[in-house]
Amino acid sequence: MGKRRVAIVGAGMTKFVRRAQETGKELAYEAAKMALDSCELTLKDVDCVSLGTAPDAFDGVHMKGEYLSDGAGGWRKPIMRPYVGGGTGVFTAIHGWLQVTSGLFDICLVVAEEKMSSCYPHPAGAFLTIFDHTTEQPLKPNLIWIFALEMRRYMETYGISHRDIALVSVKNKKNAMDHPCAQIPQEITVDDVLNSEVLADPVHLLDISPTSDGAAALVLASEHIAKKITDKPVWLDGVGWNIDTAYWATRDLCYPRYVEKAARMAYEMAGIKEPHKEIQVAEPYDPFDYKELHHMEGLLLCGKGEAPRLTAEGVTARDGNLPICPSGGLLGVGNPIAASGVMKICEIFWQLREEAGKRQVPGKPKVGLAQAWGDLMQVGTVVVMRR
Amino acid sequence: MGITEKINRNIDITSWKGKIPVNYIYTAGIAGEKFFREIKDNAKIVGTKCEKCEVTYVPPKIYCERCFARLENYIDVGTKGTIHTFTILHENLDGTKKEEPTIIAVVKIDGTDGGLIHWLGEIDPKDVKIGMHIKAVFKSKEKREGSILDIKYFKPI
Repeated sequence: MGKRRVAIVGAGMTKFVRRAQETGKELAYEAAKMALDSCELTLKDVDCVSLGTAPDAFDGVHMKGEYLSDGAGGWRKPIMRPYVGGGTGVFTAIHGWLQVTSGLFDICLVVAEEKMSSCYPHPAGAFLTIFDHTTEQPLKPNLIWIFALEMRRYMETYGISHRDIALVSVKNKKNAMDHPCAQIPQEITVDDVLNSEVLADPVHLLDISPTSDGAAALVLASEHIAKKITDKPVWLDGVGWNIDTAYWATRDLCYPRYVEKAARMAYEMAGIKEPHKEIQVAEPYDPFDYKELHHMEGLLLCGKGEAPRLTAEGVTARDGNLPICPSGGLLGVGNPIAASGVMKICEIFWQLREEAGKRQVPGKPKVGLAQAWGDLMQVGTVVVMRR
Repeated sequence: MGITEKINRNIDITSWKGKIPVNYIYTAGIAGEKFFREIKDNAKIVGTKCEKCEVTYVPPKIYCERCFARLENYIDVGTKGTIHTFTILHENLDGTKKEEPTIIAVVKIDGTDGGLIHWLGEIDPKDVKIGMHIKAVFKSKEKREGSILDIKYFKPI
């Protein structure tokens, strides 16, 4: 049984905002409708739906997938909700790919939604119970703790300064100034990052992406159908996902080995032998500035500990040799968890079709990559895309 | 030990107490804003209609779930409907006996494809029948706050 080639033929997203008046269903509808309109398809053309949305505790609706289904175009259709926490966005596209490559369906609508503003006083509260309830929760850990511990380990291992890392936040927030959906486009300096409020040393406020409401969507089609829909299909030529140990203390926090495993799976499928030479534009997951660097290394886009130097040299700028997060990333566009992973795939889709407007990277890129990360901060999800 | 041993109380073995400390503020949404505004200000129920699919949604939606058309015309659907199905509740959530049974019904709003789940009032539980024609009873204007509970209940016509 061979795999069928699958293309992305349409994409759409809502604005990412801190608080949306729209319900989750309404957000999902806006993104899904935009994606369908972009390739002149209607809901009738859709064979199945892959719906991604992160913890139910964000929107405050248990069985949120079922609740969102009609807004995501799932009325009387086969619909499934894949879930890998923060990695859900990219994984939902992988799930849609599975549905089409298998030969089961020809057209899959991929929709991802998150409405984090419902969660009060702050959606970080939803994470307090992801830790082991007997060995960890009594110490009252929160999400930022974990990132601070990981960031420091990364800095210490490779001799990286906070200043090196802050450049990512500066770059991405600036890139976001050209994104019409961006929540916090800003022109800031490294000193602004270093002087921002310390949350859990070394993590400062401007090292972190915001919490957001928003949705994003894609239309996937099998090869023979895709070519009828558009003369600019973007092929999903490689997919990969992988998870590391659930125990924080047994994990190699300075290097995301699970991201490497996921990337290697995707590269092998896509026939990529030398990713640092062949990948021309990438959207690694950047909920924190150091994570973009961490993930570039895990994705084998550079050697271990080398990502900060590439950033400092401008290689990862929009007009550099390897543009990283030309969208503005989660740090600039915003981070409605599952939707932000799909936003990254939308960006690579637009970049490879040369439809990214002011964000367009030069050189007519043909091969790109999007990646997300999540679960208990130990899952990697990767797609390789090709024009 | 373990799964083979009957445990009557978790606190008899090594255990911790905990809670998931989250609260929510839900928005009514774009369509919900219109829906609750009409209930509060005018004691009216509104829906949206997809002309193509000939489906009227109550509560209103901004989209037709069947064809994804954008729905922007809000129509007054009246306050009358029929009992589609019902149940009579005799116990509270904590298992205690209710002093008076409560009747819950799925109310199909006349001329629409939608409806509301709501209480029935001003009727003896013995007399409730599927298909019975009923109408919404609203709280007085000064007591309405833009909530589904601004409708006190539905009563027989």
